[in-house]
This record gives sequence, structure tokens and C-alpha cells, in this order.
Amino acid sequence: MESNNSLQTELKRVKQELAGYKIELHQTRGYLQSILQSSEDIIFATEVGGMLISFSKGGEKVLGYTWEELVGRDIKDLAENPLLFKEFMSSSLQGGVTTHLDLPFRHKEGKSIYCNVTLINLTNREGQRVGTVGVCRDITLWKKLQEDLVQIDRLAEIGRLAAGVAHEINNPLAIIGEASGWAGMVINDAKGLTAEDRSELEKAVKEISGQTKRCRNITHQLLDFARRSEPEKTEFDVHTLLKESVGFLKPELKHTSIEIDFDFMPGPLLMRSDPRLLEQVFVNFITNAIHAIKKAEKDKGLIEIKTLRTDSKAEISFKDNGVGIPPENQQKIFDLFYTTKPPGKGTGLGLPICQNIIKKIGGEISFHSEVGVGTSFTINVPLV
Amino acid sequence: MTEQPTIRILLVDDEETLLEFLSKRLLKQGYTVKATFSGEEAVKVAQDAHFDVAVVDLKMPGIDGVETQKRLRQIQPFLQCIVLTGHGSIETALESGQQEAFQYMLKPVDYDNLIISIQKAYEKKMKLQNQEFKEKVAAITTSGMGAHGIRKAISELHKIYGIE
Repeated sequence: MESNNSLQTELKRVKQELAGYKIELHQTRGYLQSILQSSEDIIFATEVGGMLISFSKGGEKVLGYTWEELVGRDIKDLAENPLLFKEFMSSSLQGGVTTHLDLPFRHKEGKSIYCNVTLINLTNREGQRVGTVGVCRDITLWKKLQEDLVQIDRLAEIGRLAAGVAHEINNPLAIIGEASGWAGMVINDAKGLTAEDRSELEKAVKEISGQTKRCRNITHQLLDFARRSEPEKTEFDVHTLLKESVGFLKPELKHTSIEIDFDFMPGPLLMRSDPRLLEQVFVNFITNAIHAIKKAEKDKGLIEIKTLRTDSKAEISFKDNGVGIPPENQQKIFDLFYTTKPPGKGTGLGLPICQNIIKKIGGEISFHSEVGVGTSFTINVPLV
Repeated sequence: MTEQPTIRILLVDDEETLLEFLSKRLLKQGYTVKATFSGEEAVKVAQDAHFDVAVVDLKMPGIDGVETQKRLRQIQPFLQCIVLTGHGSIETALESGQQEAFQYMLKPVDYDNLIISIQKAYEKKMKLQNQEFKEKVAAITTSGMGAHGIRKAISELHKIYGIE
């Protein structure tokens, strides 16, 4: 009887203790839950085989999936390279905690999400492994910044190199220019030339002079690019500048069926910026449009130049009905020296220089292109 | 003197082929041209002959363009200098000799633009020179010396100002 009594007391004590543990457990779980719910990181747990049994809210946000879509899936299938991830997971089995600095996952929409991944072995009281816990921090933005820095560094280096070459080429160019100018004068005064020969020679000399000027423009552009001088600020009308830019290209437009359509906002579009730099960008975009149309061999070419003004920005777009840019080339168009033109026709400098200029004056370039339909480039630049 | 006096141009550049063609073109257009291939040579030539405009390359072995034009102007104070510079060196050139040169031009220079600058430089030179010449002549004529003395002093002035 007495033993029964003591048993009762013992049971009561255990029950009380258990209730205490329950509260404690509840608190701990709440604590862990709040971490899981509020962390921006991907925090997951898997069973031994890698099947997901828990996934944090932050993880859902970073990778674009809901937990319902993920439950029961293998964690390695979320990685960009499942084999690599599996390898890393098995290598982590030896140690308790392992970190990989830079492992990409695949977002639901397909883009890469670079993560700093730490894996922790989950073991039971007997020391047997029962699963894995992972904490992954999204470092995509950081990585992109790093890549940008490398790119900027490389651009600067190429710029310096190109500037050196351009500098050396300037002197021979000057001589070619003077020599052809002299030849022109001699031909002008020469006697005994047939009218036909004279016109042939005049044409040839004119071509040499013209092409020399073109080379000089390239070297000056390159040197400008490398120098990164501060842009000037003057007030001017974008519409006038656009018309002048088209005027420069009259020779290119001759003997083509290309029509230029100005779709300007009413009145002048005044801004304070660097007109010389902007003009260079305009001429470049219009030239590209002309080439794209010529390449498409359409009966009727059309370049639409449109302007708009918002509170603080001017928006200028150039739309052509040329060949368009294939999707696989679209991310390369701003790369230095990237060109699809035959050797000797394109320098691969045009668009990177444009981008450099627009960045310099605080604006942005965007574009949209469809093969067979055409391309439109839009620049947004601050009004002051 | 003819109504349209010929402009006397001094060219200074170590790039000899360039000067060969440039001087041929200028000569053909009726300018009087002397080509020199270093700053030192130019300074020496300027001691014996008068020029209206000098076209000087900034970067040369020996004394550079800025120094050359400084020395040229010590010999011929009214001489106007056009300095040709490579890209990016305009700023440095300006720091070292801003007040001295008539103009800095980017190389390779466009021939037509160069002609325009030479004309303008010449006009500036003549204006300055005539102004001072007149002042000097006025000073001589009011100085109270005799007719013979005046004639002699004015012929001396002609020499100084390079007017033949």
C-alpha cells in the first residue's frame, strides 16, 4: 500500500517535470521557429537521403518556391549542378560542419542564385546520422558587384592599351592626311590628264582624305574613352541635336529607301548636359539602325526617333525595322570589341562607348530587339 | 608690299614627312614657309628671319613645344604660336604655357582648321604689332629730334618689327 502511495507521488512528480519540459520545449521551438520564419537565409533540413523535411520562409523567398512545392523533394535538385551539390554533401559527412563559399542554386524562374552554404550533420543520441541541416546565404548581388569590378578593371586596362595604340597611330594618320591633301593639289594643277583620269584620281584622293578623317575620329573616340574626362554642362535642345545628328548621316542615307520619322514631344526639349557626348551617342544609334536595316534588305526602311519628357528625365528612343539582335547575342552587345560586322567594318567600340557616355552623364540605356522585326534602343538621361 | 601680304609661317615638328607635305601645301597656297625639325633649329632660324605665325608640335626631342614657343617669343615678341598637342596633353600644355600660345590644337590637325587658325593668328599679330608700331612712331615724331633722326629711328623700327 505504501509502495503504491510512493508510486503515486513519483508519478505526480514526473508529470510535473514533464509539463515543465513541455513548456521549455514549446519555448525552444517557438524560438527556433521565429528564427526560421524571419531569417533571410535558406535554412533547410533533410533526412539521410537528402529529402527535404523543412525549409525556411527566407528560402522560399530566395528561390521562389513554396514549401508545398518543395516537400519531399531532394535538396540537390534545387542546386544548379545537382552532382556537384551531392559531392559536397557527401564530403561534408566526415566533418560535423562544412562550408562552401560559392555554390549556385537555381531559382524557380531559372536564374542562378549564388550562395554561401554551410552544412551541419544531424545525429541522434547514439551518434548515428539522421540527416543534414543547411544554412545558405544569398550572395548573388555581392558576386555581381565583384564581377562588375573585375569588368571595370578590365575595361580600364583595355582602354589604356587602346589609347596607347591610338596615340601611336595618330602620327602616321596625320602624314597620310597631309600627303593626300598635297596629292589633291598636284592633281588639280596637273596638265595632260584626260578628264576621265582626272576624275578617277580626284575620287581616289578624296576617298583617302575621307577615310583618314574617319580613322582620326576613331582614335579620338578611343582616347576620349580612355581619358574619362568630366562631361561639360551646357543648355541645349535635344530636338535640334537629334536633327543635326541625322544631318551628319546624310551621306549614309543617300541611295537608301530609309525614312526617318521624328516623333518629338511638342516644343523644344531643353536639357543641361554634354551635347557633344550625346551627339556621339545619337549618331551611333542611328548608324547602327541604318546598318541593321541595310542588312535586313527590306524594301522600306524606317527609323523612328521619339522623345518624351518626365519630371526629371528625357527619354529618347531609336526604333528600326532592321534585322534585330538574336537572343544569344543580346547580352554581348555592350562588350568591348564585340561586333557582328565583317572585319574592318566594325570596331566593336560603338555601344560600349555609348554606354560609358550615358553612365557618365547619369543616364541609362535599355533596348528591346526581335529577330526579323527590329530593334529599339531607349536612353533615359537626367534633364540637369 | 602687295595688298594681301604673304603670311610667313614657321613650322616646327620632328615628324619630317609630315612637314614635307604640310609645307608643300602651304607654299602652293601662297604662304611663305620655313620648316624646322626641332625647337633648337627653330630658335636659331628665328634669329635671322621674321615670322608671323609658328606652328609648333608639343612633343619633340630636345626642347619641347611650350619651351620652343617661349623662346621664339623672346626673340620675336609679336610672333603668334599655334601648338599642336596629342590627346590628353592639352591640360598639361595649358598649365605650363597658357598665356603664351595663340591656340592649342589637337593632333592630327585638320588642314582646313589649321588654315583658319593661322589666318586668325596672323590678324592678331598684325593688330598688336601695328598698334605698338604706331605708338612708337608717334613717340619718335613727338620726341623733338630732327627729320634725319626721325627717318633713322623709323627705319630702325622697321627692322625690329620685321617690316621690310
